[in-house]
Order: sequence, then structure tokens, then C-alpha cells
Amino acid sequence: MGASLDQEWKKGSAELLILSLLEDQPRHGYDIGKLIEGRSGGKLRFHIASLYPLLYRLENRGLIQGRWVEKPNQRRRRYYRLTTQGQKTLAQQRQSWREFVRAVSQITGVEHA
Amino acid sequence: MPEWKQEIRKQLAGLNLPPTREEEIIEELSDHLENLYEEIIAEGATSEKAYGEVLSSLGQSDLLTELRATERTAPPDPIPDGLLNSGHLFTGLRQDLRYAARMLRKTPGFTAVAILTLALGIGANTAVFTIVNTFLLNPLPVEHASQLAAVNTAQAKKTSETLDVRPLSFLNLKDYREKTHSFSSLTGYSSPMALTMSAGAESQRVFAEVVTGNYFDTLGIRPRMGRFFLPDEDAKPGAIPVVVIGYAAWQGRFGGAPGVLGRTIKLNNLAFTIIGVAPQGFKGVNAIFGPDLWVPSMMAEQVMPAQQQNALRERAVLTFTGAGRLRSGVSLSQAQADLKTIAVALEREYPDANQGQTVALRPLSEAAIATNQRQGLMFGSVLLMAIVGFVLLIACSNVANLLLARAAARRQEIAVRIALGASRWRLVRQLLTESVLLGLFSGILGFFFGYGGCQLLWSFRPAEFAQNLVDPHLNANVFLFVLVVALFTGLIFGIAPALRSSRTPVVEALKEEARTAGRSVSRVSLANSLLVGQVAVSLVLLVTTALFLRSVQREYLITPGFETKNLTVFLLYPGQLGYDRTRTEQFYKDVRDRLATVPGVASVSWAANLPLFSRAQSGVVMEGQEQRKKSEEISSVINTIDLDYFSTMSIAFLGGREFTQNDREGAAPVAIINDTMAGRYWPNQDPLGKRLQLPGQKEFRQIVGIVKTTDYQTLGEAPQSCVYVPLRQNYSESMVLYVRTEHDPSQMIASVQSEIRNIDPALPIDDIRTGTKVIEQALWGAKMGVGILGVFGFLALGLASIGLYGIMAYSVNQRRREIGIRMALGAGQASVLRLILRQGMMLVICGVGIGLMLSILLGRALSKFLYGVGASDPASLTGASLVLLTVAMLACYLPARRASQVDPLIALHES
Repeated sequence: MGASLDQEWKKGSAELLILSLLEDQPRHGYDIGKLIEGRSGGKLRFHIASLYPLLYRLENRGLIQGRWVEKPNQRRRRYYRLTTQGQKTLAQQRQSWREFVRAVSQITGVEHA
Repeated sequence: MPEWKQEIRKQLAGLNLPPTREEEIIEELSDHLENLYEEIIAEGATSEKAYGEVLSSLGQSDLLTELRATERTAPPDPIPDGLLNSGHLFTGLRQDLRYAARMLRKTPGFTAVAILTLALGIGANTAVFTIVNTFLLNPLPVEHASQLAAVNTAQAKKTSETLDVRPLSFLNLKDYREKTHSFSSLTGYSSPMALTMSAGAESQRVFAEVVTGNYFDTLGIRPRMGRFFLPDEDAKPGAIPVVVIGYAAWQGRFGGAPGVLGRTIKLNNLAFTIIGVAPQGFKGVNAIFGPDLWVPSMMAEQVMPAQQQNALRERAVLTFTGAGRLRSGVSLSQAQADLKTIAVALEREYPDANQGQTVALRPLSEAAIATNQRQGLMFGSVLLMAIVGFVLLIACSNVANLLLARAAARRQEIAVRIALGASRWRLVRQLLTESVLLGLFSGILGFFFGYGGCQLLWSFRPAEFAQNLVDPHLNANVFLFVLVVALFTGLIFGIAPALRSSRTPVVEALKEEARTAGRSVSRVSLANSLLVGQVAVSLVLLVTTALFLRSVQREYLITPGFETKNLTVFLLYPGQLGYDRTRTEQFYKDVRDRLATVPGVASVSWAANLPLFSRAQSGVVMEGQEQRKKSEEISSVINTIDLDYFSTMSIAFLGGREFTQNDREGAAPVAIINDTMAGRYWPNQDPLGKRLQLPGQKEFRQIVGIVKTTDYQTLGEAPQSCVYVPLRQNYSESMVLYVRTEHDPSQMIASVQSEIRNIDPALPIDDIRTGTKVIEQALWGAKMGVGILGVFGFLALGLASIGLYGIMAYSVNQRRREIGIRMALGAGQASVLRLILRQGMMLVICGVGIGLMLSILLGRALSKFLYGVGASDPASLTGASLVLLTVAMLACYLPARRASQVDPLIALHES
């Protein structure tokens, strides 16, 4: 797929990625960036200038909520968690993602994109 | 660790984010960069390489564009609902109230002072209003008072503007009752009469009203216990001696015993059976003075004094005031017209008694206070209400000043709210809610103050009438009054500060530092004018108090024309013990003879009138001067006296002779007059040998002596005519015993009492008054007035001083820096002290000037109530001003001293 995929997918699915990562536990911004990079095997990579503004937008829309947390022997960090509204949105987006993938597969005959 | 923050800050510079938001973003991003940096290091790169890599990652990014898009969509910070224009009135109100309560809790000192100040003002108003309400406005304690009309005798041709009404005769009342169609019921009641009541061995003086049998039914009163009069019990003269006692008498004289019904008491030595107890709070239909018990009209002859004993048979004896309940749909004027027709018929039928007389109707509540009392009461009430109104105004302006000071401290808060979009009206509403809430809390506390004050005031009433005076009581009027006063108070003291605050210029206020906030010239000048007003009003109250105080002082120095020292009067009612005339006359003689032998007794006599309790009667006729119109009738005090009266009273004899043993019935009728009468009716002539006729008497009396005029009715009164007639030619069954002793009378009273008991042990002698007590009683009203004025005057002074202190302290605090600079530049403590004192005292002096002018004006209006003191009495004016200046000086000095102790270093450092 390559670098172009990185650009394309990020725009369409970045929200879904972030919301999915926050489903289990609150995470800070650097952690989120690392997880996306790691789990995509380095194929998806978020730059600081796109990750944080995206987080702030999600926060403004009330889907996630950030909170400063201080832990012993650590810097103060801002952790984000999923709000109730965020959970609903995540469910919806997952559903429409599945439908989209299924539709694309039926047309292209490609299973498991 | 590399300094990422600087780098990020550079990138964010063009965004103009709010400072806190910017800091958050910087912290979060620098944390991210630091993590990246540590990771690159951990992979084995040198710190320089890692640093460069991280920086370049930041440099490539279009952080600014992304963030700008994000932050522009940011919603405003959450704001408390109460600050925005939220449509619904009641939601808004609840929020306002909650917010107001929170603000008041936040400043407990301010809240406490404000509530206490206002509560004192409201309390004073409540106390006075409770009494005014009881006496003047109070609906009578009867059913549907507005349907009741008082019926009186009046002159057919009015002689003057004032309504000259007198009671009805019993027979006329009866005719009106039988012939009228306007009333569903018409009753009659006498004024309270003093009777001797003996229950067991003891005798007491009580007051009784003689009433027709339907009295309680007409008024709609239900008994507390037992029953009221039956028709049979008021049908035949002297047949059924029954009595209804009042609640206070039942409690006070019978200890509230339930077994009082059916008990027998003796009234004027005649046995009466108690059949009922009137309800609590009902003391007849007189607004001030009520009876202890009620006797049916058919017993009138048994209980009434000699002059009125024909009350049931004679149309000329006017005893009963009528009280009628109007039929529904009948107006007062219709009833008046109806009764007038009957009056014309009665005049035609019984011309002797009813010549020139008609009938007058007015609402019963109006008749509850005698016309002459009403004027005095109205004057007193208006004066007192005005005074406490001023006290409340002072309290209001104090709190307004406190609020102004606080508003200055809250300028920033208010500016923030305006900046966030709160409308001006919304702010005013919020601030007014706070002040009205303060007013309401003060109202609650003030209500209790007022109730306590009223009870206290009432505890000073003369003890001998305590049971007969109507008690001040709380009713819906009082509650309503307090509520309205409290609400208005909140609005009055709140409106100016609220309007002023809502005009806060936002930008300036936000830029100001809190410490220097709000020292605007206009704020200070508003506070200053309030202060000048307070001082002026306090001074007016103090001067008025001083004037009345001086007036009472002068009254104490008045010589009433007789010597009060070592004089004692005993009120005895031998006629009420069932004595006949011979026995009573013998009793008078015996007492005189026996007391004359008691060592220490200088002189003894009897007289019909109590000192300073006489009233002039009209209808005296001078021989040769008979032709007078009704309106020009000669009026004079008439007193029946025994031998030695003038020497006992120490009244100077001016000419002629005293009465002697020979001036008895059958001998030529004689009289002694005072020099006022002599000068008035026989100017430049010798009145001795001239003759006059007293009202109600047929024969002319020859004037045989002239004495000096004394005070007869009140102390320091205008000279009145007086005629004295000898007891032996004018028998009276109720006489007052006058005893002059050589020394302090208090030690003699017991021996005088025991001598009288030796003559008749059953005779009650509990009403004994020394000459000084007589004067005290005469001055009781005036002294009460001065006391009340004094209390309110000093309350006003206290409140004004607190206000003065408050504003001075505030202004000194505001000027700390200026004072610091002055002192740093070499001003000494003394000069700072002078500066501050001068500033405060200038205001005070302005207030005193205005107050003095107002006082003189008010004094003129009050001058007819003052005795021997002019409106511009220098002692009162200077005295009151000095008191005020001293207190004000102290109130200014304390803050001024604090100012002079400012340490310039600290003061300058603070700002």
C-alpha cells in the first residue's frame, strides 16, 4: 500500500482509530500515537501536528475527555478517556465501517482488505 | 532536558490563544516531544542527533494551521447559568436567591452588620406601629366592626366645627331602639365607672360598664365561660343583680379559677352573681381603657354615682352611648336620617330634656377614642412614626454605604459578568435580590426586636390601670406592615448601589487592580451626601428629644398653685359601702376630727376633686349677665370642699372669708371663686357680694371669698375659672381626703389608715397618692414621650456614628497608599491625623448645620406641645450638637489614628 495509503486512511478513519484505542483505558497522546504506529506495523503514523489537533477536536465535540494526571516520578500528563457519547459514536462508526468494507469487498471481490 | 516549550511557544505565537489554554497545549506537546526525544536516545542516537530529529519533526508540521482550525470551533468556557440571560422568570429568581444567599454567606461580617442595623430600624418601626395599630387602626375585637355605628346626642345647631357629642339618656335610647328600622340591634353602654368590689374580706376598686342586656349579642361576642345577660335579667330595675367579668379581671382578681361562675361578689356593698367571663382580648369598645366587669342596665341605680342615679327615669341624664348593628343594605347616612326623624319626634314630645338636641351617628371604631384623646394620639402617633421612619432611613443609608463600599470591591466580578454577556437589567436584578434578601432577614429579626420593644414599652404603663388598658397585640396588619417595610427597605438601600454597579465600565474595571478598585469621585460623593443626611436627621431627633426633656424638666419646677410637699390624698368611697347621707356626713366629720388628733398631721380636709383631675363644666350664670348664647356659656371648674381646704392645700387667700360651720343647708348659699374668674367676669369691680348660679342648680350663690388660681387639670395650664362650694351645702357621696403632714407623709400613711379603719374596717383605702405622686402621674405621659424620643434619638445617633465610622474607615483604607506617600515625603503623624479628621468632620459639620436649621423649623411646629422652652432653645440646640459632634469626633478619630500609624514602606509596597 505505501505512503499514499497512510495519507488517505488517516483522513477517513483517524477518529475511529483513536476512539477504538481509548475504549479499554485512558491513554495520553504519545501513547496513542505509538500504539497506532505499532499495531499498524509502522504503516500508519500520526504526526504531532495532526494527532493533537484531532484530539482537541474530539474533546470539543464531547467524544473524549482529557484530564491532567500526575503520577509519582513522572511528568504531569494529559490522559484522554472515552465519554458516553464517544462510546455511542464509536459503535456507530464501527457499524458503518463494517458496511463500507463489505460493500467494497462485494464490488472488488477482495476479501479481507 | 532540552527546552521544548520555547520552540512550541514560537509556533503558537500567531494563534492568540487564551493564556491558560496556550500553557496547556504547550505542556502537552512538550511532553510528547520529550517522549520522542527519549525514545530516539534509547535507540542509541546521541543527544544532539535526537534533539535535531525532534526539532525537525516539529518544524515540518503545520501545527499552526491545524490548531487554528481546531481552536476556532472551541465552545465558550462553561459559565454558571445564573449569569446569563435565562428566559424564565422564576427559574431566574430561584437562581438569583441562591446566588444572593451565597454572596451573603461569603461576607458574614458585612451581612451581620447590615442585618443588625436594619433590624434595629425595622424593630423601632414595628414597636411603634404595633401600638398605633392597637389604638388607632385596630379593628375593634367585635364581629363585623364595619356594620356597627355609635349613636350619640348632639346639638341640633352646631356651635363649632368639632363634633360635640354626648351620651344618650336611657329613655331616649329605648325609644330609638323601639322605633328604628335601620338597626337589627341597638345596645347602650356607659363609660367605665369606679366601684368598690368586695369578695370575701378584701375590697378593691374596679371599673364597671353598665350595659343593656343585648350588649354582647349586638357586638357579636361569645363568652369565654358561662353566659351573658338573658332578656329577663335586664327587664326590671334592681331585680336581678348579675355581672359578667372580663378575662383580665378573671385572671388577675380571681386567679383564673374555673369555679368563679355562680360566685357572689359585692359591688358597692350589693351582692352580684357572676354569670360569665368575657373572652380574652375583649375590653369593651373603647380603644384604650376598658372595664373589669359589665352590669346590666337595670342595675344602674345600684351602681351609679349619686348624680346619675336617675339614669333610668330621667331623659336629662345622659349616660349611655348607643351601639347599633346596621341592617344589611342600610348605609350609615340612611340610618342617620332615620334616627333624626325619631329625634325630631322626641324633641317635640319631651321638650324639657330634648330641646335643641338631635342624634349623631358615626362608625363605632371612630367612637372608640374620645375626640380630644384622638387628637393627642394622632399627634403622638404621627410624630413617633416620623421619628422611627427617620431612624430606619438612617439605617438604610448606612447599609447603602456599606453596599457601595462592597460594590467597589466587586467591580471586577461585575465587569467579568458584563463581559460574559450579562445584561444591565439582569445585574441590577441580581444585586437587588441580594438587598431585598437582606431586607427580609432584617425584617424577621426586626419583628422580634419590635415585639420585645413593644412589650417593654407597655410594661411602663401606670400599674393601677394595667388591667384596664387595652393590650397591644400583633395581628395581620402588623405582619403585613413589617413585610412591606422589609421589602421596601431592601429596595431603598439597594437601588442606588445596584444601578451604580451596573454601570461599571468593563475595560477599566478589568484593568484595575482589586486593591485600588472603585475610588471614583461620584461614589464617594454619594456616600458623603448620605452621611450628611444621616447626621442632619440624627441631630433633629436629638434636638427634639432635648426640647421635650427640657420641657418636662420645666414642668417639674412648676408650682401648681398648691403645695405638693407633705400632702397626701386618700380616695375613699364611703357611699359605695351602702352608707346613707347622714351616715356619710357623719363619717366625713369623724375622719376629720380623729385625724386632727394624730401627732404629725397638720391639717385635714375633704374635696370632691382630685388634684389635677378636675374638668371644667359649662353653664355657670352670673347674676345680671344671664343673656348669653349657648356658645358663650361660662365654663368653670367646680369643686365641693370641706372646712380648712385652703389651708390644707396651702392656697393663698386673697380676700373675703373662708367657709364656716354656719355655711350649711338652709343658710344663705355661698361660694368662693378664684382670681381668674374675678378678673374675667367682674373686671375692675369687687366680686364679693355678687351672685352666681351653678349648672343644674336653681339658687344663686353669693361670693364670699377670693383665692389664688391653681392648676386644676394639667400642670402649667392656662388659668381657668374655679368656683368652690361648701360640702354642707352641696352633699356628695364620693369625696377625696386631703391630709397635710408636718413631715414626710410616707411615715404617716399607716397611722392615718388605722384611724380610718377604726371608724369602718370594711372601707377600702388602697388608693393613696402623695402630692409628689400626683405630679408624677400628671407628667407620666410627657415623661413617657421623652423616654421614647430619647431611645430613638440615641438609636439614630448610634446608627449614624456607625455609618460615619464605616465610611471613614473605608476611605482611610482606600487612601493607604496616598497616606504612605505623604508620610514618605515627610508628613508627620499629627498632620495625617488632622487631614483625615478634617475630611470627616467637614461632613459632620455640614450635617449639623442642616440639622440645626431643620430642628428649628420642626421645633416651631412642635412649640405648642412644649412648656417654657422655645423652638430655638440654645441649651437644647448646643447640647444636642455637642453630643453629636463628640460622638462623630470619636467615630472619625479611630480610623484617622489608624491612618496616621500607616508605615509608609508597607503601604507603598502593597501597591
